Amino acid sequence: MKARSLLPTMAALATAALIVSGCGSPAASSAAGAGDGGGSDNLVIYSNSVSDGRGDWLKAEAKKAGFTIQYVDLGGGDIKNRLVAEKNNPVADVTFGLNNVYFNQLKAAGVLDQYAPSWASKVDPKLGDPDQEFYPIVREPIMLVWNKAAYPDAAKAPADWPDLWTKPQFKGTYETPSDLGGATAQVVLAGILARYRDDNGEDGVSKAGWDAIKAFFADGSPAVKGTDLYARMKDGKVDSGEMWLAGKQTREKQYQIQTEAAHPSVGVPMTVQQVALVKGTKKAATAKKFIDWFGGAQLQAAWSKQFFTVPTNTDALPTSEQAAVTATDSFKSQDIDWSFVTQHLDQWVEKTTLDYLNG
Amino acid sequence: MSPWLRTMLRSPLVILLALVLIWFIVAFLLYPNVVNLQQIFFPHGSFTVRAFTKLWESQRALDSLRNSFVLAAVLAVTVNAVGIFVVLVTRYFAVRGARLLWLGYATTLIYGGVVAVAGYRFVYGDHGYATRLLVKLIPGLDPEWFSGMLAVVVVMTLTTTGYHLLFLSSAIARIDQQTVEAARQLGASTWRVLWRVVLPMLKPTLFAVTVLTFLGGLTAFAAPQVLGGRQFETITPMILTFAGIPSSRDLAVTLALILGAATLLLLAILNRMQAGGTYFSVAKVSATLQRQRIENPVANVVVHVVAYGLFVVYLIPPALIVVFSFTDSAAISTGRLSWDSFTLANYERVLTHATASWPIVVSIVYAGVTAIVVIAMMLFVARFLQKVVNAFTITLEYLLHIPWMLPTTLLAIGLIVTYSQRQPLVGGVVLTGTVALLAIAYISAKIPLTLRILKAAYAGIPDSLEEAAAVLGASVPRTYVKVLLPLVLPAAAAVSALNFNSLLDDYDTAAFLAHPLYQPLGITIESAAVGSGNSDSTALIFVYTVVLMVISTLTMWFVYGRRSTNR
Repeated sequence: MKARSLLPTMAALATAALIVSGCGSPAASSAAGAGDGGGSDNLVIYSNSVSDGRGDWLKAEAKKAGFTIQYVDLGGGDIKNRLVAEKNNPVADVTFGLNNVYFNQLKAAGVLDQYAPSWASKVDPKLGDPDQEFYPIVREPIMLVWNKAAYPDAAKAPADWPDLWTKPQFKGTYETPSDLGGATAQVVLAGILARYRDDNGEDGVSKAGWDAIKAFFADGSPAVKGTDLYARMKDGKVDSGEMWLAGKQTREKQYQIQTEAAHPSVGVPMTVQQVALVKGTKKAATAKKFIDWFGGAQLQAAWSKQFFTVPTNTDALPTSEQAAVTATDSFKSQDIDWSFVTQHLDQWVEKTTLDYLNG
Repeated sequence: MSPWLRTMLRSPLVILLALVLIWFIVAFLLYPNVVNLQQIFFPHGSFTVRAFTKLWESQRALDSLRNSFVLAAVLAVTVNAVGIFVVLVTRYFAVRGARLLWLGYATTLIYGGVVAVAGYRFVYGDHGYATRLLVKLIPGLDPEWFSGMLAVVVVMTLTTTGYHLLFLSSAIARIDQQTVEAARQLGASTWRVLWRVVLPMLKPTLFAVTVLTFLGGLTAFAAPQVLGGRQFETITPMILTFAGIPSSRDLAVTLALILGAATLLLLAILNRMQAGGTYFSVAKVSATLQRQRIENPVANVVVHVVAYGLFVVYLIPPALIVVFSFTDSAAISTGRLSWDSFTLANYERVLTHATASWPIVVSIVYAGVTAIVVIAMMLFVARFLQKVVNAFTITLEYLLHIPWMLPTTLLAIGLIVTYSQRQPLVGGVVLTGTVALLAIAYISAKIPLTLRILKAAYAGIPDSLEEAAAVLGASVPRTYVKVLLPLVLPAAAAVSALNFNSLLDDYDTAAFLAHPLYQPLGITIESAAVGSGNSDSTALIFVYTVVLMVISTLTMWFVYGRRSTNR
């Protein structure tokens, strides 16, 4: 019975792996110290915006500037939940990339520390936190995009989200989220429900608002896990759906299709990614220096050129990627009371998931 | 008190192990979850029934819950049917090329998740090869025929027969040739021997894998999300959404408890059906089982045709995954291959990345350590729980199933919240932010499955063996090592390999508990997979799947490939 050799095999495998790990670790010099989340000079950054090559680029730039950084790279919701759970003994030193709603929730949970970066005066204070617990770095429109091949005549394309469920020709032609865990889907939901604010209504929204959400999901084509919106548009399965600015640009190239974004007269939700110091970090001095450098004009402009973003730092704008700036400024920013949204978003996600998501 | 227990309690080692076990249950299974559940259900000091009302009023929740139960029940039948068939043709009947067939069927052991479902869509999806053929043959066929419950059941049936292949195979290997021969000499037909002699002896293992299949159906995620569409939504996606929202966690826990309770109920029923039976051969000297010839020529041909048909069905999706891992996202989404869609760019991105190999190493170490610790713990615990049945041990056994009762995210959050402060339970150490916490979570998570399989394996061992050893003067530990251990090792090896492979791509636990410098592969894969990046990275996930296939194949080869005889 050769299975007898399993335990030694496993042990050998584990030992081999440990030996390899001794030489191959990206931070072999730093011990797996308890509680400090890495080596002494290692900044631990929690972010949802470092995938797709962005993290590697930033790590290299940070190194040139004298910072050694390490990421925990998760989805927005997971980053938020992990930061809140670790509140009593934080592993993270800095967090960036989540949008203003998530940051407001982090602030409410007492996870963030006040810090006004050196570039604080260069950003619009309305985009960040009045209590100086987080500061804006990048703003990005969340758009309704449609396939040009499906609508050769732009006038026939949907002009705003409500068109999708109020005009019969769009029935079944647009993609709706199949779950509401993601930040983009949540912002789209908020962008629709915020139009129907009614403080006497259910979860702060009037009946008409909930009817709109019901119709939105009922007439849509649910997203298919593992198949991108752009793949489905190219395939002719759907003709429109939600997308963020940088995603539109790269996907058009990837899937070789042309898309256009609707420019509704009420505007589109403009999400603002933020950066903050984590309360209780043992490396506050380095972390603050990092935030000063990261949100500074030079790095933000370079990041913009590299990844098609629009910095909030006004000093960075002249040297930023102008195509991204022009595209973003072509949208009116929808007038959304984000504190109202922050207060109700979790309820909205719950109610929509329970009652409307499958139409 | 049974004499067995009395002997055991005389050994200080046994007492120590028992204390460690109880400490582990209290510190890592009970306490963190009690703390967590208290915050969820008693947010302001009083119990809230909000969750029940909300769920009861939600048609979608009720429909999804019903679908999950239907799926679990259907799979318990279909997976057993296909699973028993593939084990019989590879291990019991004389079928030509059984080894080759085994390799084909074993592909389900090395891949899974969303990519596995994508593999089936390449064949049966709207652009799939089989669909294109079918549309030509049957004009008017809807190209999207492969969707809804039918598609989910087919894909899940074919991708979850791994438990049978591993555990039933090792159970069948223990069947005594003389018993089978005796039945035949008494005139029993091939089928009668199978039905009345062989299958009954497999009962403990069959029951164990049925529980696993049922739970797998209840918690199905990837296949319903990709193929189920609106008509066949299941409950797990909803549990995941709610587990991520603090104010909705009562809903997540309530739903998870319903699934967990149903699984334990099935477990209790099957345990009762199993109790009192005899699941071993009574021969004094057992002989290795020989392959049984199927004497009816027609039946023989049918079995061969079905066996090879299934072989092809099993093999094509993983083969296509490997092929498509060399193409771009556009080719993957349309399922069409052309020469210019082939690229090595994805492999380049994954493999030449400066730190690309590090997460793989971390995953292998975590998976290896977990597999070893769990099997070491459970080899002892399963035997103990099987021999000593009283209120206390039954309670212990059910407590060990807590990881099946709660959503993974919440188990992880419970551990963080509890151990981010000094806790006397673990000697006043802060565990949050250390490498240990993830290992603890992994070990807890793998306990229930390991326990079920090992208990089933022990049930197939006659007490007389142990008694004989005792009469011959062997001590209890010596009897265990020399007599019992060799008999359960095949099952232990199989479950360890399975545990190891299943942890390689874990994301849900690692997302919360991984140390920033020691992040396993699942996090890398998820960050490539989730569309938070600028470009769509579907192709990268295929590359990672192939990397995982290679590691898993190596694991399986370590466990099975080197055996000299093919039993």
